[in-house]
Amino acid sequence: MYQQQHNPASPPLHHPVPQHPIPPMRSPPPLQQQGRPVNSNPYLPQGGAASGYAPDNAGNGYNLFNDTTAQVGLQVGRNAVLAGQEYVEQNFGRFMSLSMPTLRSYFNVSNGYVGSKLLLVLFPWRHKLWSRQPKRSEVSGSVEGFMPPREDINAPDMYIPVMAFTTYILLSSILAGIKGVFHPEILGYISSVAFAIVIFEILGLRLGCYLLGISNDSQLLDLVAYSGYKFIGVILTMIAGALVSGYFVKYSVFLYTFAANAFFLLRSLRYVVLPESPVNPSSMNTTSRQRQRRIQFLFAYSFVCQFVLMWMLAKS
Amino acid sequence: MFGLGRLFYVILLLVNSIAVLSEDRFLARIGWSSAQIDNSGFGAPSDAVSVKTRLINLMSAVRTLMRIPLIGINTVIILYEVVLG
Repeated sequence: MYQQQHNPASPPLHHPVPQHPIPPMRSPPPLQQQGRPVNSNPYLPQGGAASGYAPDNAGNGYNLFNDTTAQVGLQVGRNAVLAGQEYVEQNFGRFMSLSMPTLRSYFNVSNGYVGSKLLLVLFPWRHKLWSRQPKRSEVSGSVEGFMPPREDINAPDMYIPVMAFTTYILLSSILAGIKGVFHPEILGYISSVAFAIVIFEILGLRLGCYLLGISNDSQLLDLVAYSGYKFIGVILTMIAGALVSGYFVKYSVFLYTFAANAFFLLRSLRYVVLPESPVNPSSMNTTSRQRQRRIQFLFAYSFVCQFVLMWMLAKS
Repeated sequence: MFGLGRLFYVILLLVNSIAVLSEDRFLARIGWSSAQIDNSGFGAPSDAVSVKTRLINLMSAVRTLMRIPLIGINTVIILYEVVLG
């Protein structure tokens, strides 16, 4: 996009500067002659009607020359501003991965996606293909990023985690209200606990990624999204515990949702932790020992860590 | 029990515990000094670096970077705990 805008602007800078001003010179005078009688009526009595053409034309030429230089200047300035914007956006996207288009693509969901993703998180056993679909640019066909969640069920989204997080807070205050111990402080308390758990999890994940040398181009937001899917299981566990009085149902629901979530994370985070290993094993020089260690880390994260965190969330 | 404030305390204490380690009195004795690992340059493939080396790098980075901010943060937290805790 930037190159397409840049190319028409660069020739006038180099050689056809004398050629370019001519088409604007022909076309604007009618505009200005139409504009003159309205704007510069006070000048007409001074110069007269007959002799007014020559100075008018000279004036037009002078204005036009000014206009072309101004146009070129404007265009250069606009290009510079655009380049600056793009630069800032790129760098923010690379370092913080929080630029608005990146964030927006996480919320690019449809009803069908949300439904099938919920089903996938709760019943991941029969799902076969877990790799994300690469997004190819329409011009060159090169791979740039991944498809948005609307078109790819394996893509992580932020809609479900955010909604599940909110639902978790509201649901636990409703349950507290049913028990009769609701207090306005409980909202802040529960959300603080949930935030702390999510942040703790992401920090641990980042630390593990750093220690194991996993350079994940898939950004931090992917990890945030994946860590948010466990709220679905927690919500179901809390609902089951509220509806049925016995502990057996609650714990069996908890165990099932935990296992499903762990399996889902194990499969989904595979492409983050073990990037492209089956496709070209020669280019990624991960030794078998490193691979083993990464698999252990993935297993420990998605089973042990998730168990503790989901337990803490479902209990409070 | 485990809210955001607690999490902040945990992180702060962990960073404190890393920053308080002495380079030549403690770390060099157990072989965790950052001077002992050979920094073969930034061009080295990142996969070849072991976990221990990364840990040592992280610790030395924390000690270098967080020493001065930690003084301020600790002072504020101690004052807060003394007055309001």
